[in-house]
Amino acid sequence: MIIVGMADSAVARKPVKLTTLGLGSCVGISLYDKSTGVGGMVHIMLPSIEQARSKDNRAKFADTGIPALLDSMVEEGAYKHRTTAKIAGGASMFSFNSNTQLNIGERNVTATKQSLKELRIPIIAEDIGLNYGRTIILDTENGELTVKSALKGIKTY
Amino acid sequence: MKYKISNLTELQISALREIVNIGVGNAVTSLSKMISKEVKIEVPGLKVELIEKVPEIAGGADIIVSGVIMHLTGDVEGYIMMMLSEETTETICNIITNEENTDILDPLNQSLIEEVGHILAGSYVSSLSDFLGLNIKISPPMQTFDMLGAIIDHILIEMSTKAQHALLFDTLFMIEGNRMNGLFLTLFDPDSMDIILERIDRMI
Repeated sequence: MIIVGMADSAVARKPVKLTTLGLGSCVGISLYDKSTGVGGMVHIMLPSIEQARSKDNRAKFADTGIPALLDSMVEEGAYKHRTTAKIAGGASMFSFNSNTQLNIGERNVTATKQSLKELRIPIIAEDIGLNYGRTIILDTENGELTVKSALKGIKTY
Repeated sequence: MKYKISNLTELQISALREIVNIGVGNAVTSLSKMISKEVKIEVPGLKVELIEKVPEIAGGADIIVSGVIMHLTGDVEGYIMMMLSEETTETICNIITNEENTDILDPLNQSLIEEVGHILAGSYVSSLSDFLGLNIKISPPMQTFDMLGAIIDHILIEMSTKAQHALLFDTLFMIEGNRMNGLFLTLFDPDSMDIILERIDRMI
């Protein structure tokens, strides 16, 4: 099992599993090409690199992290046009919030969907929003995404 | 930003550590009085970390904790977070409600923990304010029971738009030496770190 940290990404080949832990407002994107068994995961924190002060880490942003992940998967042998996406996260953990963090979870989800649309990667499952954290595991054996939570049980997509 | 947090002097670091030590010390004294049990703290750790590494440093993004978060405003901006393990949360609830096996998810007990966090952070912040001669206000607490990473990631997201590194103060505390434990995390805005360090430089 490869653990993908916050603002981090990784690519793996069947039968290795990929996981990212404790997604709140962040979004976890898992990409998978069934024909080759190549999978990838990225844990993004922010929608866009454009206004960022530091642009060193592309995996931090939806608009750079997702294309970069797809490129790395293609390098590993995945076919872009056979790759599908499953996404999770983008919660609002607290109902409060100051202006700057207004719906950051929602903005991350919107940017994620936009990026996948531009890349023509279909989203075949999503477990997003609401107010709880998620840990996700991608099984590159079959492309199944398991979503675990503290109190809301386990779901498989 | 005048100061680089990755470039602090030994003297600045020990002054910061001392201030946090006093603050957390006051906080756990309040806790100790509240629950009539001995509460011990470890010498606070002071770490400069990449923001995305903070959940790991705090014990792991997927550990399940009862978290209370408060926003600091006024002369400085930042956050204080108190994370309690499930057992610690239950112990504190048991002691305060004088019941056994309390349900920590009961809304009443959740607001109890929220209030405990608020009281602790209140004494912590007032000691910081006094020491630094700064006016620091504290927001109402927000409490939830969930994965640590999920509880704090929106704060890290907010911080990451301003800086790459976070100066992280973490203090572990133990109640009657049991394995039950908790963690205090303090994160300041980069501009606020400047203000705090300026005060410290004037003092030393």
